[in-house]
Amino acid sequence: MRIGIMSFAHLHAASYVHHLGGMSDIELVGVADDEPARGQHYAGQYGLRYFDSYEALLAEKLDAVLICSENAYHHRLTVMAAEAGAHVLCEKPLMTSIEDGKAMLAACEKAGVQLMTAFPMRFNAPTIEGKKVVDSGSLGKIYGCSTTNQGKMPREIRWFTDKKLAGGGALTDHTVHVADLLRWYLGCEVVEVFAESNAILNSDFKPEVETGGIVMLKFENGTFATIDCSWSKPPFYPTWGGVTMELVGETGVLSINAFKQTIAVYSQESDRPLWPFWGSDSDGGMVQEFLSAVRENRKPAVTGYDGFKAAEIALAAHRSVEIGQPVSLPLKT
Amino acid sequence: MFRIGIVGTGVMGSFHAASWARTPAQVVGVQSLDRGQAQSIAERINTRVYDDLDALINDVDVIDVCTPTDTHHEIVLKAAAAGKQIVCEKPLARTYAEGKAIIEACEKMGVKLLVGQVVRFFPEYALAKSAVEAGKIGNVGVIRLKRVGFQPARNPNWFAEFDRSGGVILDLMIHDFDYARWVAGDVESVFARNVRSNQTETMDDYCLAILKHKNGAISHVEGAWAYPAPLFRTALEIAGDGGLIEHPAGSSVPLEINLDQLPDGSRPNIGVPTSPLLDDPYVLEIKHFYDILSGANVPLRITGGDALAALQIALAAIQSAQTGKRVKIEEVA
Repeated sequence: MRIGIMSFAHLHAASYVHHLGGMSDIELVGVADDEPARGQHYAGQYGLRYFDSYEALLAEKLDAVLICSENAYHHRLTVMAAEAGAHVLCEKPLMTSIEDGKAMLAACEKAGVQLMTAFPMRFNAPTIEGKKVVDSGSLGKIYGCSTTNQGKMPREIRWFTDKKLAGGGALTDHTVHVADLLRWYLGCEVVEVFAESNAILNSDFKPEVETGGIVMLKFENGTFATIDCSWSKPPFYPTWGGVTMELVGETGVLSINAFKQTIAVYSQESDRPLWPFWGSDSDGGMVQEFLSAVRENRKPAVTGYDGFKAAEIALAAHRSVEIGQPVSLPLKT
Repeated sequence: MFRIGIVGTGVMGSFHAASWARTPAQVVGVQSLDRGQAQSIAERINTRVYDDLDALINDVDVIDVCTPTDTHHEIVLKAAAAGKQIVCEKPLARTYAEGKAIIEACEKMGVKLLVGQVVRFFPEYALAKSAVEAGKIGNVGVIRLKRVGFQPARNPNWFAEFDRSGGVILDLMIHDFDYARWVAGDVESVFARNVRSNQTETMDDYCLAILKHKNGAISHVEGAWAYPAPLFRTALEIAGDGGLIEHPAGSSVPLEINLDQLPDGSRPNIGVPTSPLLDDPYVLEIKHFYDILSGANVPLRITGGDALAALQIALAAIQSAQTGKRVKIEEVA
């Protein structure tokens, strides 16, 4: 299978390349990037061929591409790849506007290629276990869910805090993972979104986007849920951040901490403790699922539509902040 | 020596009785609709049972009101009119108008009022508050507060009567509404969802609320009477632009005792956090008031105005949960 990498703007690309590198039936054809210096740097680092343009890369008769560009470019690159007949694994959030998202879904549909959204949390061992508990019905009717996807603010890569390229800050970056998990767990759609945000955290960075936020969702079955998407872990926190979910039901409570499988290290080499993770790697499972879907030409376990619905929630969260009241889904524009 | 009269002899009445016993003050009597309960407390702390509230008020310097929420107004007004100093369990009152009337009556009569927002006396909460005040974490951006347990069981169960207790939002979450305001200042608006905000039958409730403070900070407050007994958990997290304070549920419990049943053969029927301290928070609270009554030159840790503001936030949360809209705090008056 011939695979190309479209942009290294998002460093998850490195993890995907790492997983693909060890597979015998995968040929990593090369890399193209909007920023030649960045593309050449990573091409060199991973021993890949660098292409001067996306067109040149796509002319290589690729089976599939991984799109790890700035969020605002997902649309352009996905449409290009689909038109070239390549299946697409696209970074989250899938899009930065409803129009872009619809166009991406339509282009892939028209070209007959699979579109998968990079939601590795669906392949996280504790969240998979949690899904089994929910499906068993042992919690009874689920009243509400209190969830977090907090992290450190991405300081090294500037586009994450560039409103035009990222589409927003913490609300954009960290709402979609748990929004997707909740849709998956509850098996129904969100009908209303409310959010508050601010830019108090990481003020030393003078961010132009929100750095703290809490989103409240209402699902069509009546379950309500909050997502804390704040970049509230300081730079010196012992780990990058995490994902937690507490589901409160009629007959029980399920608490999930997806990245709790750590040890605490107090080292003479560091002036702060570190919590290295020993749990299963979810990126590997996600990449495998994408490859299987391409090979079998079937819908992946996490589709482009899933990515669209999760990103729609983040877009609605921004709109709610603007108007100060809940926003109904689906969004028309 | 101050003479104390305790009205109401449920869980809080018995806690307060035990706390007054740790001061030089003398509990001269207890009064309750449940004479048996009053008798048992009276025997424990060696005092007498009054059948008549007016007689008790007449005989004391301080009236300590530990009755159901909807009765606070009438009892406090009576005690204030008689010029007695007052301790009133939280919440201050069932309605804003009643709460305001209490504050005004106490001011008019020049009597001191301590409202039992006891979380301000929990050492971990007080420590976190003073760390914030000392600038350890910079400007506060996002606060998370959690207080979850099972349904309080009483016979008859006034907690289950929304018109009397205000449900989980007014009875339980008011602790964290007050704390959030103590840490991040006045609240501008509230958005909340819960399972049932105006039902009167004994059923589970779970609520998630988002507060926006006037300084831009956001608080996420979580309350439940829905967890399987005997679970009772609290947690606090305060993120600032210069650091983070975390105190997850149970992270600092120094003793763990697991028994099938309590030594007296019963199972616990109400969740109350126990922190093994030489002076528990209820003792600290009562001693604080005792010191102030004795002329100590320290400010009341919780003023009547603070308690009224916490009540206002809780009522705004109830209104938001009922209407599905964000409620500005001044809409509650």
